[in-house]
Amino acid sequence: MRRFLRRTTAVAHKEVLHIIRDSRAVYLALGLPVVMLMLFGYGISQDVDHVPLAVADLDRTPASRHLGEALVAGGDFVREADLASPDDAEAAFRSGRVKAVLVVPRGYGRELARGVSTRAQLLVDGSDGTTAAIAMGDAAGILQAASLGRSAVASLSQGPRIRVRFNPAMRSTYNMVSGVIVLILAMVASLLASLTIAREWERGSMEQLFATPVGRVEILLGKLVPYAGLGFVQTLLVITLGSYMFDVPIRGSLVTLFGASLLFLLAMLGTGLLASVIAKSQLVAVQFAMLLSYMPVAMLSGFMFPIENMPGWLQAISMAVPGRYYLTALRGVLLKGNDLAVVAGDLVALAVFSVALLSLAVWRFRRRLA
Amino acid sequence: MKTRFLVLFSLLNVVKKELSQTLRDRRMLSTLLIAPVLQLVVFGYAIDLDVDRIPTVVCDQDGTPRSRELTEAFFADRTFLRWGDVRESNAAQDALEAGGVAAAIIVPRGFALRVARSDAPEVQIIIDGTDPTRAQVASNAASQFLLLRGIGEDSRMESAVTITSLAPHVMYNQRLKTAIYMLPGVLATLLLNVTALITAMGLARERESGTLEQILVTPIRPAVLLGGKCLPYVMFGLVDVLAILLLGNLIFDVPFRGSFAVIALGSFLYLFSTLGMGIFIATVSSSQQQAMLGTFGFILPAMLLSGFMSPISSMPPWLRPFTMLIPMRHYVEIMRGCLLKGADVGDLAQQMIALALLGVGILAISVARFRKQLA
Repeated sequence: MRRFLRRTTAVAHKEVLHIIRDSRAVYLALGLPVVMLMLFGYGISQDVDHVPLAVADLDRTPASRHLGEALVAGGDFVREADLASPDDAEAAFRSGRVKAVLVVPRGYGRELARGVSTRAQLLVDGSDGTTAAIAMGDAAGILQAASLGRSAVASLSQGPRIRVRFNPAMRSTYNMVSGVIVLILAMVASLLASLTIAREWERGSMEQLFATPVGRVEILLGKLVPYAGLGFVQTLLVITLGSYMFDVPIRGSLVTLFGASLLFLLAMLGTGLLASVIAKSQLVAVQFAMLLSYMPVAMLSGFMFPIENMPGWLQAISMAVPGRYYLTALRGVLLKGNDLAVVAGDLVALAVFSVALLSLAVWRFRRRLA
Repeated sequence: MKTRFLVLFSLLNVVKKELSQTLRDRRMLSTLLIAPVLQLVVFGYAIDLDVDRIPTVVCDQDGTPRSRELTEAFFADRTFLRWGDVRESNAAQDALEAGGVAAAIIVPRGFALRVARSDAPEVQIIIDGTDPTRAQVASNAASQFLLLRGIGEDSRMESAVTITSLAPHVMYNQRLKTAIYMLPGVLATLLLNVTALITAMGLARERESGTLEQILVTPIRPAVLLGGKCLPYVMFGLVDVLAILLLGNLIFDVPFRGSFAVIALGSFLYLFSTLGMGIFIATVSSSQQQAMLGTFGFILPAMLLSGFMSPISSMPPWLRPFTMLIPMRHYVEIMRGCLLKGADVGDLAQQMIALALLGVGILAISVARFRKQLA
């Protein structure tokens, strides 16, 4: 046992030297999460507002002008252009300048003055389905509220009868920060790990390693430990920055949080090592790792695309994506303050995945040698 | 004339070397051709941001025909999906916390009584805000539902007000399918992977193993070397574009309303910039590890800023000008315009010019750097 530990430490030490010598890679590995977090936090927003709008006002009365102004007042829409006729809408959509066109028909003001219910038309560029759906809902709400003579903002979403829990302002930042943690850990851990073994093959130093009494398990474990450490530093960095800069709450326990992170890291490192063992060249290993870990985590973890919308077979596949369990646990602990009992199922799933993936890597490694 | 022939000859030789090197490794070939297709299929099915069937728990404390009618009407347009019923409002809260459901509708005792007395009836809807897009759609739908039913309104007001209703008309994508919108972005990302990542790592490998110097002593010029190394991946990239457009059309009904020439021109200009980026990253990295991380350091922000996943109009104003520097933004706009809206070169002139400028600029800088390093 002591020998096993000593050899593993020796391999780990060698790997640490590799990492330190390539210090630029370390800066990149630590800088990337920060850049991503900044972009997600300050730049990227799934919240639909400032939708570029063009107005085709055929009525040209104070009432019709008021309608156009009401729509842009809340900031959901931004008036980008005025069109002389609804026929120009097509060209405006095609060049991508506007995403919605409000058409106020002739006679709108007169009918409104007579007390008749009137109709305006909203043309929406449906190519972006989500934005279109939300914009239509927003516009309908604004106009209804405006004609009921109340302030548009009050009626829109936070009316007294509708309460949004856990994230009352519906800020996408909260969602993003947990998503970024999952994505970054999946990416950096698995991609970096995927290079390690393949590099030894490529440079021919693997034969030298085999000439030493170090076994396969020791090699893999020794390679894994330094990257697990690096990944852990990343987790700390992203969570700290997220909570300081974007006020992402940490309502649950930190121990649960880090426990889940460690298990997920091991699973991702296992995936990377597996790719590395199979591929034998760094370029191919990176592609494998991306296909096995990064892509599934990005697409099937529920970070960007809700799982319940997927077809059944894809939902079944998503059960085999470790990122899914980590994301659930992470969101639960951060936003809902879930304790160990609630996230236990996710943690068990993560543990099973990490053990399975690492054993698979060791097993494949042995076969390659025989 | 003769030198030109020689250049062409050596270019072909480099292409041959690169191709045989790539094709020798079966796994490489499969990741180049099968992986994008696989990704498209999974991506296409996974991307469904259309928010509907939001799992909702019902807590009907009133239990009258009128309250039952209300909850049934709530689920009529399938935005919400009835997940289950509970007796106590605490149980509804618990279900929200556990995460099985994303919304709850609570009808308090005395609902029917108040409706009968034309008192303002009360209904509470609770929405899980952890997924903001879904929460936004859910709260829009819920507030419209309540508004239509006159819940929470002073009922005396209703009749006296004239209402301006909005007739929405959706163009290009009537069923608001997200997959159709996302495909161009998926395509752009895949091309970035096939070209930039592989060029960057491939060149870094040559440097690592010292074969770059060996080629240098042959009469092949640096520019020819680069061209020869890039050409095979341009071909792979274009094959991928064709395959993805075809599959997208067959499986996901992505329309093809524009002309093929626009797509070809756009893809070609885009590949210029991605290859240039790959070469640039290779010139600033000394190992494959750095090249890999550097490429991702470029790909990820580019993806986020391209408007592929989240609308550019939602970004803060100071950030929006920067997105003009991202080739992917222009490419995604070209592809969306051409595929979905049938835009022609005239409509997309601005994006084409931007892409051409960026492509030539990046490529020129990186080739110059590459030359200087070899000299």
